[in-house]
Amino acid sequence: MKVALAFLAPALVALLALRLIPAAIAVGSSLRHTSLVTGETSFVGLGNYVTLFDDPTFLQSVKVTLVFSLIVNPLQIAVALALAVLYTQKFAGVRSLRSLVILPIAVPPAVSAAIWSVAYRPDGMLNAVLHVLGIPQQPFLTSPQQALWCLIVLLSWIGVGYWMMFLIAGMQDIPRELYEAAGIDGASAWAKFWHVTLPLLRRPLAFVLVADTVSNFLVFAPVQMLTNGGPQGSTNVTMFDIFTRAYSVGDLNLAQAEVMLLVLVVLAVVIVQFRLLRAKD
Amino acid sequence: MLRRTLAALVGLAFALPLLWALSSSLRGTGNLGNSLIPADPTLANYLALLTGGFGRAIANSLLVALATVLIGLAISAAAAFGLSAIRFKGQAVVFGLVVLSFLIPFDAIAIPLATLFRDWNLQNTYAGLILPGLGHGLAIFLLRQFFLAIPAELVEAARIDGLGWFGVFARLYLPLSRPALVSAGLTLFIFQWQAYVWPLLIGTDTAHQLGPIALANMRGQFTIDYGQLFAGSVVLTVIPLAIILRFQRQFTQSIATTGLK
Amino acid sequence: MKFYRVIVAATLAGALAACGSGASGGSDGSSGSSGASRAADAAGPIQFVGPEDPKTFAPVIAGFEAKNPGLKVTYTQVPFDQLNTVLQQRLAAKDDSIDVYTVDQPRVAALATRGFLTDLTALTDKVKSAALPGQYEVNVFRDKLWALPIWTSDQFLFYNTELLEKAGVQPPSSDPAKRWTWEQTVEAGKKAQEKAGAQWAVIPEQIEQFYQLQSLAESLGGGSGITGPEMLTPAITTDGWLKAMTWYHGLFANKLAPRGVGSFQTSPLFSEGKVAFFAGGPWDVGTFAAAKGLKWGVAPYPYFQGGKPVTPTGSWSWGVNPASKKQTAAQKFIEYAALDPEGNLQTTQNTTIIPSSKAAFEKYVPLLDAKAKGVGEIMTYDAEHTAVARPRSVGYIQFEDIMTKAFADIRNGADPKARLGQATQEITTAWKQLR
Repeated sequence: MKVALAFLAPALVALLALRLIPAAIAVGSSLRHTSLVTGETSFVGLGNYVTLFDDPTFLQSVKVTLVFSLIVNPLQIAVALALAVLYTQKFAGVRSLRSLVILPIAVPPAVSAAIWSVAYRPDGMLNAVLHVLGIPQQPFLTSPQQALWCLIVLLSWIGVGYWMMFLIAGMQDIPRELYEAAGIDGASAWAKFWHVTLPLLRRPLAFVLVADTVSNFLVFAPVQMLTNGGPQGSTNVTMFDIFTRAYSVGDLNLAQAEVMLLVLVVLAVVIVQFRLLRAKD
Repeated sequence: MLRRTLAALVGLAFALPLLWALSSSLRGTGNLGNSLIPADPTLANYLALLTGGFGRAIANSLLVALATVLIGLAISAAAAFGLSAIRFKGQAVVFGLVVLSFLIPFDAIAIPLATLFRDWNLQNTYAGLILPGLGHGLAIFLLRQFFLAIPAELVEAARIDGLGWFGVFARLYLPLSRPALVSAGLTLFIFQWQAYVWPLLIGTDTAHQLGPIALANMRGQFTIDYGQLFAGSVVLTVIPLAIILRFQRQFTQSIATTGLK
Repeated sequence: MKFYRVIVAATLAGALAACGSGASGGSDGSSGSSGASRAADAAGPIQFVGPEDPKTFAPVIAGFEAKNPGLKVTYTQVPFDQLNTVLQQRLAAKDDSIDVYTVDQPRVAALATRGFLTDLTALTDKVKSAALPGQYEVNVFRDKLWALPIWTSDQFLFYNTELLEKAGVQPPSSDPAKRWTWEQTVEAGKKAQEKAGAQWAVIPEQIEQFYQLQSLAESLGGGSGITGPEMLTPAITTDGWLKAMTWYHGLFANKLAPRGVGSFQTSPLFSEGKVAFFAGGPWDVGTFAAAKGLKWGVAPYPYFQGGKPVTPTGSWSWGVNPASKKQTAAQKFIEYAALDPEGNLQTTQNTTIIPSSKAAFEKYVPLLDAKAKGVGEIMTYDAEHTAVARPRSVGYIQFEDIMTKAFADIRNGADPKARLGQATQEITTAWKQLR
């Protein structure tokens, strides 16, 4: 116990001072309201939370966030897993090709947004490619039906290589003898993946599942730079709504209440994920 | 062969947008085109970077990110060890706190945290820039997942051989977890390399300016010089890329290959 | 730890006192007009925060320092997209490492009510007599003066000479008396699209921004968008607003202007010669003059047929942070930059923007006119006759944020009437929070 705490102490101090204490301050701030007319701050209890549940903008952001999460998480994890399998095969040049997939992580967010905003323009690069393929021009970010998908593509371009990296790190830990043994038993490549790779990849996969879900709940920078939540609120995810309230509009109290609601939702999702993963053990 | 073609095609698809950024950075006029090959390639955009404070900002970013990786990895790995190798009562609660800490969006608590940092006189110090990167629950969680894979028998054997807990940590766990450490280190590095709102919130002066802010400052209020923006971003991309390439090798060294198993 | 901090603080204080004694001496004099009742200034340079490249403010800082030996100014640039956020947070935390900061003029009211600006009412008479028409009023809220005007702006109609020639269109005159209507402009732009292969007919530069689009509604008598005794009642569904937004909607539906290009990403399209008409600001004059192979001219900003000529105006003021410990020196600096003709002119030396001081404006007009003939006359006329500022309201920040999203949606095809109705509701909800 004492030994474990000694190992944990620096991290606990850091987490407490740098995350949990400010979070507690944020909770306090979510229970207050500052009037611009009188300039006074007063305690309003759950008033800000009530306001949010009456606000159509917030309610719509919840809907968008749910749709977004249900699509983006399975998609990214499946693609990351497939790429991890592909890029752990043995052939010449595999390492440098793998680096190309990881490459987008290194790009500053402002730059990836700049690249994609130009690419998605109606007269931009992507439509030029579609034109060559004989596909009609697409509206991309200017359409309420397509904008969210455009963001999902952009986020996957950045994220898939990142999550793949953790899965590859996990795959390197799988003893080669297991594959050799399965090979002697005549198992197909698919059977090897299903019966050897996947079970032994359980823990890294659990990390990727939880971490990817959380980070997709908290994403907002590309929304800010590409769509500003539009068209017609179709990309107004809750984290961006929070960002607008806290930073652009400056209503910190309401924003912190929204943060607390978001954290509660993410917490619930993560608890369910942990339960499911444990049930499988 | 099929695999290789597929791997090459996928890799190319991921790299394509960046190739376009690279080509735009070599364009002279500051305008954009759809082609990948600039008509009149020039290094003017890169030379322009030398005149501003961009070099200084890159150096600052490197310092902050590397310090965060070194200190952050030490803190996170120790914590992950405390959460995996040793069993104790209340472990679940501590782990719960770690998880909770990364569910809280940093950008949301940055505002109260900046006020605390001002009270602690951390404005315009490297410490003020490095510290927020150290409380990284995700890195702890990641390392814990990998540490759990290390067999308990190995620990017992080492203990019987007279190794103390610190010895088990430093001589058994760390060497066995290189891929995980590299991944966690990269996570810490990227967090700091892309730091943008935080340094602005605590009011960082020009001497402590970081790369992403120097990049954003190139965008004027009324105009955008895409050529220079992309040149700056190529520089900001190449550095982490070099680090990723350097550490790729570590990915192949692990329990499976060290023969300890 | 604490002990260590005390030592550091003491050392720092010593060092600052040693090198900053000149500064505090300089500001002891009661030359500051309203600093008499205040405590003496702290030592150290005046710290100035803004979104511009340091090059922009180098001349005015040098000029001020030369005139006031002992006083120094340190400038820190904050990226434009984060400026409001950063100021908001740091001013709320009473951060005394900001003395002077740039104030977006429509935000004066909100900043003043939050206590983020020092009251400068003592300077009222000086500002009234020195500033261009309208540039005093934009800095007043609840009968007090909160900031000093540095820059203002105007909008022009730029045209591509070659495209118009090819299309057989006589270009618009630069004479403000012969101002074109938007209807005329669209007609001519269409011709350029059909006959001269122009990609776009008419592009308003700040394509989704209230700054630019307010003028459309105002020209049709639609009002500023905000009314009421407290200026907290939205009024964006008036006839004028509906008509203006329907026209704006058509601009994109009929492919006269592009979708999917952001507000300040439009000028490169004109530089590349793809656009017949471009409604832009003085800052574009320098950019277009530098564009290779581009032949262009400039005319007054259009208005609607049957409506009245209205031009966007306003830009940046500078204010003093009440938490600053260098009130006297800080005020001295902004007085120099705003009211001293020489100082005000220096702020425009390295950028193309209109100075707010009358005397500086007069010296500035010929300089800009040399770059684009006719601009000077248009600017002078607009400043006196057609300039309409953005509404002054505590709720402007929320209003602008919601309007920007509404404009974007209308541009992308949303029904103007329904979308403006929705925006009215959103603004009403947001403004309830202010109380």
